[in-house]
Amino acid sequence: MTKTISRRDFLKLGAASAGAVALGQMLPPQVAQAARAAGLLNANGDGYIHSMCEMCVWRCGLTAKVVDGRVVKLDGNPEHAHSRGNLCPRGQSGLMNTYDPDRVLTPLVRVGKRGEGKFRQASWDEALDIVASNMQKIKDTYGAEAMVFSSTHNLSQPLFENLLYAFGSPNYGTQRSLCFNAMIVSNLMTYGMEEPGRIYDENLKYILLTGRNLLEAISTSETHDLIMAIDRGAKVVYLDPRYTKTASKATEWLPIKPGMDLAFHLALLNIIISEKLYDKTFVSRNTVGFDELKTEVARYTAEWAAPLTGIPAETITRIAHELADAAPHVLVHNGWRTSNFTNSFHTQRAISILNALLGNWDVTMADAGGEESGTLGAPPQPPYPRVSALRLDGVPWKYPVVPLKIGVFQELRDNIVSGDPYQAHGWFISRQNPIMSIPDRSKTIKAFGKMDFIVTVDIIMNDTAWFSDVVLPEASYLERYDPLLPVGDKVFLRQPVIEPQGEAKSALWIYKQLGERLGLGDYFQYADEEDYLRQQLAPLGVSLEEVKAKGYAEAPETPHEGEPAELSWNTPSGKVELFSDTLSRVGFPGVPVWEEPPQPSENQFYLLTGKVAQATQFGTQNNQLLHKYSDEPRIWMNAQTAAKLGLATDDWVEVSSEVGTIHTKLLATQAIRPDCVYMTPGYGHLSKGLKTAFGVGASDSAIHVTYTDPISGSQALSQTFVTVKKA
Amino acid sequence: MAEIKHHAYLFDATRCIDCRACMVACSVENNIPMDKTRIWVAGIGIKGEYPELERGTMVYHCMHCDHPDCMSACPVGAYTKAEDGPVTYNPDVCIGCRYCMNACPFGVPHFDYDKGIIDGAFIDKCTFCPQRIYNGEEPACVQTCPTDALEYGDREELIAKAHARIAAHPDRYIDHVYGEKENGGTSYLIISHIPFSELGLPTLPETPVNEVSEKVMEMTIPFALSWGAVLSGVAAGVHMYNKNKEEKEGEAKPEKKAEVEK
Repeated sequence: MTKTISRRDFLKLGAASAGAVALGQMLPPQVAQAARAAGLLNANGDGYIHSMCEMCVWRCGLTAKVVDGRVVKLDGNPEHAHSRGNLCPRGQSGLMNTYDPDRVLTPLVRVGKRGEGKFRQASWDEALDIVASNMQKIKDTYGAEAMVFSSTHNLSQPLFENLLYAFGSPNYGTQRSLCFNAMIVSNLMTYGMEEPGRIYDENLKYILLTGRNLLEAISTSETHDLIMAIDRGAKVVYLDPRYTKTASKATEWLPIKPGMDLAFHLALLNIIISEKLYDKTFVSRNTVGFDELKTEVARYTAEWAAPLTGIPAETITRIAHELADAAPHVLVHNGWRTSNFTNSFHTQRAISILNALLGNWDVTMADAGGEESGTLGAPPQPPYPRVSALRLDGVPWKYPVVPLKIGVFQELRDNIVSGDPYQAHGWFISRQNPIMSIPDRSKTIKAFGKMDFIVTVDIIMNDTAWFSDVVLPEASYLERYDPLLPVGDKVFLRQPVIEPQGEAKSALWIYKQLGERLGLGDYFQYADEEDYLRQQLAPLGVSLEEVKAKGYAEAPETPHEGEPAELSWNTPSGKVELFSDTLSRVGFPGVPVWEEPPQPSENQFYLLTGKVAQATQFGTQNNQLLHKYSDEPRIWMNAQTAAKLGLATDDWVEVSSEVGTIHTKLLATQAIRPDCVYMTPGYGHLSKGLKTAFGVGASDSAIHVTYTDPISGSQALSQTFVTVKKA
Repeated sequence: MAEIKHHAYLFDATRCIDCRACMVACSVENNIPMDKTRIWVAGIGIKGEYPELERGTMVYHCMHCDHPDCMSACPVGAYTKAEDGPVTYNPDVCIGCRYCMNACPFGVPHFDYDKGIIDGAFIDKCTFCPQRIYNGEEPACVQTCPTDALEYGDREELIAKAHARIAAHPDRYIDHVYGEKENGGTSYLIISHIPFSELGLPTLPETPVNEVSEKVMEMTIPFALSWGAVLSGVAAGVHMYNKNKEEKEGEAKPEKKAEVEK
């Protein structure tokens, strides 16, 4: 994979590109001044600065080594619970993100046709004026709802939300329906929280993973927890149609048929209930709806599930018994999206309920608290204007139980194309690459075609920026401040470790500038980033300088006064809801039920996707360090199946679904079910502004068909079936 | 961290998830060019036939041998074995002969065809991150490892830890600490659930290879001298024999001599 790698030393390369722009504008070195004031850098500009990673959403703590005003190394911050001194390969490669030679370092305004990649440089003033005037024009002509806003979950999200809600648009796209809506909605319905925390203590005996490839889709501290649990002798049962690196470390790998994990979990519920293996005390005291659940799952026997899942009835029964024996020191892991079918909401519900039946609350699962901390301050702001327009993504009028903050992104895209219930005209995109991330790429490009105006905030010319009218260059996570992040009893700071390169600016600055131009300055009452942070820190009585030096501030959680007499959850009943009245009242089954997933025809394959340790979604493929140590992206096919089709490793193949065709190289491997093929997502970029990633691999989103789970709004990627033939 | 008398690594193959964080960390820490690496992944890949499969990896870099073959092979003394563990390479002395590459049983030293003539740095290999370990930090590869598959510490302590781990889970590990004795001992120690030869490690005697080679080398001069003496003796003997023979023949063939004189 050295084809597109420059042979030059990457640090020199970064220096050259940064220097070229820096010549034009000599800003005072504010970061260095602040870091010197906090005692982090010496007179030469050398030292160590604590901050937080942003190579994925896990947000590890990091310590950056700075020499002569350049970041030369990142290490995990031992004080941070998410990293414990470690970083994954993406975290280690973070400085290459910042020193990417393809960074966009000035505002750009499109001069050619959309997608042609012709832009001119513009000043911030001009670019912001263009963006604000176009947004205002759309609002004046069609109403504020004609502006769509979308951004992937990140620390400056509260200010992004300020911009969109103050502007008055209900149309908010996040990445979540492309990922884990089913898991979140399931936990909300069962436990009244998005995702309970998981506890990997020394007593943990048994872990059941449903497609959670924790050793490749790395969440640094949890990946460490899992390996240590295995080290101590915990049993790990892993369901996945692929023999992943997690499968290789699991005690037992079950290559279950895609979409059938629901049947597997329903059968576990059946055995645990019919054989009375559940925690009777916990169930009677802390749950509602046991009888409804019992009645429903009575028909889901192990013998029923066996032919569906491809797992023998004895194995399913044994696993149910093992779980009950190990309870409460068991963890049935929700994962991100299980097998990712339209029935996956029920799979997630079955998982959430299994945990409750096994009585593992406050043993291996607990309330993890949220990312918002009540102890932090915030700038004052007026209430948002009332919005009466329907949301284009169908929340809540089509998806009544999907939270507004989460939404159904693929539905939003579909309704931009259809213009129903109304036509959207503008799209504000921040730190997101919807052209690559929403299934059926050509449809997303079609949605872009419906827009009068598109603006993208990013650090590189990602594919979405490539199709935009204005690109606003954001400072990278090593160059900017973000709002504070509460983790346990601390709040952590992301702070610049180097000066922003070129004219890149923080999201806090960009949103405020736009807000002021749109007459919404009251929603951005902070002088600058440091002022925002000081207002956040005010109730803690800690100075920003102190937090800059340590990287965090102590923010004691409300102490638990002894053992509460009664456990309670934020559900309508105050208990764990095995039967959900909320679901039932809007016409969905109140308990998990069997829904037969579609299956491919004889000449088709399930198209699977899944993460690798060297990439995050669709945004890191241009990072040269990750590119250097990544496997060549090829479509996996079972070796015997490939042989039958006359295909061999490195053959070029044509892969087709009902929405598209791609050409890619084949990897014939033993590590996948014969009825599946697998692609690493995030390759096949369209932007020629990504010189490392362009031309590498093929795009999964070009062939993914859009299916949406009617309850959680989650997309169902694995429901795409493809044919494969020699190209 | 307690005082380290002999810096060493311990690699546990049961914990390695092949994430390559160590490789990226090393590349950044040591500013390695984009087409080079000082750490490699070896192992069995994916073995077996679906669904009966096995998979395992080992990451490795310079083993920092106690008796480094690279050092004994080097004709100009470009390699040094520090008393506290690291084997280091001095590019200023190197003449680019590549003997070290042939000598290393692990195939570690790599020749840099680009940099050699220009920068004088012909060989590239792990340095043990002296800029970190002598400042109280772990080597870059160890520091970042998200699963503690790589650990760093004093060699004796790591050997004890490795044996303790094997003893605690005899069903899981092969009962051997690779590098404890191999090649006279290395500072990169490996424990594994997969046979070491399948991971790609050479089967080496406990006697260091270089002890044998150095003994041979030490014998070169005495051997050359004594062999020279033998040859000289033989030559002298042959000369004497021929001389005697000529004398005898001369006595027998006087006419010929007379003819020549004519």
